[in-house]
Amino acid sequence: MTDFIRKNKRQLTWALYALAAIALVFIIGDQLAGKKAARIVQTLISGVLVGGVYGLVALGIVVINKASGVFNFAHGWMMVVGGMVFWSFFTVSEISLIGAGLLATATMLMMMSTVSWRDLRHPRNLKITVAGIAILTLLMTIGGAEWRWLHALAGTFAGAILTGLAVERFTIRPLIGQPLFTAVLMTLAVAEVLHGVTQIVWGTVELNLPVFVDPQTNSRFRPIRLDAFKEALDGIAIVRVELVIAFVLAIVAFIGFLLFFRYTSVGLAMRATSEDQQLAQSVGLRVRVILAITWAVAAFLASIAGVLQGGAVGLSLNISFVALRVFPAVLLGGLESISGALVGGIIIGIVEQFGTLINSSEQIGTNLAPYVVLMVVLVIRPDGLFGEKRIERI
Amino acid sequence: MKRLCTLLVLLLLLAGALPNLAQEMMDYPSDLTECEVDLTGETLRIFHFGDLSGPFAFITQPVVSALTDAVKYWNEHGGVCGAQLEQVYEDTGGNREAAQSAYDRFTSQFPDELDLLLLYSSDDGELLREQLAADEIVSYISAGSIESLYGEDGQTPGWLYASNPLYINQFGSFCQFVAANPETFPDPVIGFVTWPFAFGLAGLEPAARDYCSSLGVEVLAEPQVFLPTDTDILTQVQNAVDSGANIIYTNTIASGPALIAGTLVDLGMEDDIKLAGFNWVMDTSVGILGQRVLKPNGLPSTDGMFGSMPFLWWTELSNPAVQFVYQQHTINERGPAEQNIAYLLSWGAADSIIETYIRTVNRVGSLSAVTGADIRETVESMDYEVLGGLYRNLYEEGMRDGVLNRIAVLKYANADMSGFATGPDDAMFVDVDGNMAYFPIVHALTDFMPAPQLRG
Repeated sequence: MTDFIRKNKRQLTWALYALAAIALVFIIGDQLAGKKAARIVQTLISGVLVGGVYGLVALGIVVINKASGVFNFAHGWMMVVGGMVFWSFFTVSEISLIGAGLLATATMLMMMSTVSWRDLRHPRNLKITVAGIAILTLLMTIGGAEWRWLHALAGTFAGAILTGLAVERFTIRPLIGQPLFTAVLMTLAVAEVLHGVTQIVWGTVELNLPVFVDPQTNSRFRPIRLDAFKEALDGIAIVRVELVIAFVLAIVAFIGFLLFFRYTSVGLAMRATSEDQQLAQSVGLRVRVILAITWAVAAFLASIAGVLQGGAVGLSLNISFVALRVFPAVLLGGLESISGALVGGIIIGIVEQFGTLINSSEQIGTNLAPYVVLMVVLVIRPDGLFGEKRIERI
Repeated sequence: MKRLCTLLVLLLLLAGALPNLAQEMMDYPSDLTECEVDLTGETLRIFHFGDLSGPFAFITQPVVSALTDAVKYWNEHGGVCGAQLEQVYEDTGGNREAAQSAYDRFTSQFPDELDLLLLYSSDDGELLREQLAADEIVSYISAGSIESLYGEDGQTPGWLYASNPLYINQFGSFCQFVAANPETFPDPVIGFVTWPFAFGLAGLEPAARDYCSSLGVEVLAEPQVFLPTDTDILTQVQNAVDSGANIIYTNTIASGPALIAGTLVDLGMEDDIKLAGFNWVMDTSVGILGQRVLKPNGLPSTDGMFGSMPFLWWTELSNPAVQFVYQQHTINERGPAEQNIAYLLSWGAADSIIETYIRTVNRVGSLSAVTGADIRETVESMDYEVLGGLYRNLYEEGMRDGVLNRIAVLKYANADMSGFATGPDDAMFVDVDGNMAYFPIVHALTDFMPAPQLRG
């Protein structure tokens, strides 16, 4: 018997997993049996759409981790800062020229001095800096309130790049050569700093961010009602337009990043840096610049997620907690996998919604189900669904 | 934002309630006890701490603004019996450990002065209940939980005194209202869709369900919960409706009620399912955030939401207390987001603290001689109309929470402020952050009346 178990250990393990999965399907199936088809379809739609936003947040965390190995605990607060910057430009009808100019100047100076402050002395770099400042300031201030989308996008872009570069330059770069855990702890400190800055600059009162607004009615877009399937589903299912927009934007961002990583020289350099920083440096890659770009990109992704989340439920400090809810998605998809972030986000979104459908009073959807799924997946695939399997030879 | 403030002042003028408000400073509305002891040269400190940056930050931040304005007002007017006011506060971020350390710091730094502490979280109240009793420190709080005010058995009054009725009693009031209005609420079944914290679930106690049931109002035992970060709560709302609820009750704030109201509109259930909640759902933030989704008639999703209103509201301009707070809000250039419950009640808390100290000092002879026990004796012996009528402090026979409550409805003003808007064509619009927004008003549906006592 013992011999049989030893010889067929792998098959038996999988058989046990299969049995557990079947039992789970029966339990869940039993719970869902009394539900109308419309409720199940509705739950699935909600899960996928919410999961898309989770995926976008997860992508920002994965990008940093992929390039530097650092798990960024400040990502949630980068979302808040990005959302607040967007709100400032979107809702203020007259943008201060001085304020916009200062933001543009700080952003361009940080960009052009990524390798060294001395780079700014170079006449060509100086010209680019001045031109960049002029263009960014113009984009942030041109026209009146009818140009607010442009103001907000330019302002958010500048704010995100500045935040990402500043975090990398002043907190992460000095720790190069230190244990990785030090940098991870530093992100916790950065989170607290961003928390404080947000509170001082924007206060703590919840803000309305009317980005998903139908200009005809000045209210949120009306949901799409799936009336055509009413009989088949034994009820009505709806699709919320703002969540569809958020989902589509998330997908666009993912595709953009996949293309960026695969087909651009910067993307290639980022991939090389993520493999081995020392080796990348030895072949002439500017690791500092790559890391700086990575942080800027992550901050920009966080800003997009902050705007989408803030537009859907309102801008408040609570948005930062979304990043905590996304951690299971990051681990599920695989810490270094771009596509894993999206898939992980959608799976967690669906699991949350079905957990809530089955039992909302005990918070099964948010507090239990995502972590059970995560545990099961990690037991079977310790590197996550799409994570890279690393073999270290001793 | 400033335009809205200006418009609100203009509305006051239109209403005729406040002639020359912008020009003339109003007298302080309270009928404060006359000072018998001169406290010139002394400092009276208002101690408070709580969540200013955590999950409830967006409703608590105006606490600091209001107390700052109150301190400024009093110091510009010669102080309290000559004593200058000063606020000592700390942000605990909604964290119990931080609240405990703030309490330890306050008690060690001001051992002789800390006799009265202002709190604004039920959780902090529960944490500190025994310590406050042991240290003989009285605490004013807006609405504590049963445990914080009356102990685990619900029968042991402590050293905390709430201005609002317990949430469970507010819920009982709502059941009374539902039972009394069968044409509005036929075959009533209430389902909770709320936050999963103690705060969100307060009210859903067996005693409350039994009481409502005795009135013919069924209450579903299982709440549907969601988090403040949730973007989609279709599942929770549909769960409640599938379980038979035709009234949804919520103990959430700001975006919480607005999210539920918007979801009901998304599902096309805005006419079939009524939405209600405790006093915080009547807050200005809800009225503004509810405008993200419009009903088919063009009004915001939160139009017609019921709630408790155990104090006067900003629109009750015939009352000097409201007029005065309004004027202070305008003078200090506070934004519309701070024209909320926290700002209003914090002026009330400052007034309560001042009156409590004046009475106590008059009795014991000096500020330095005041002890927590003296403060407690004062609190339990006073029947005081805070700010001349904002709410009432009356803590006799072991009561630790507000007694009176009333039910109100959130509506939106029509263009000439003579009534409620019926649609976008006759509604009043104001400019909020570059967007035209409906103007929320709270309309009382009942008089103040004693809330049922349901703490068991």
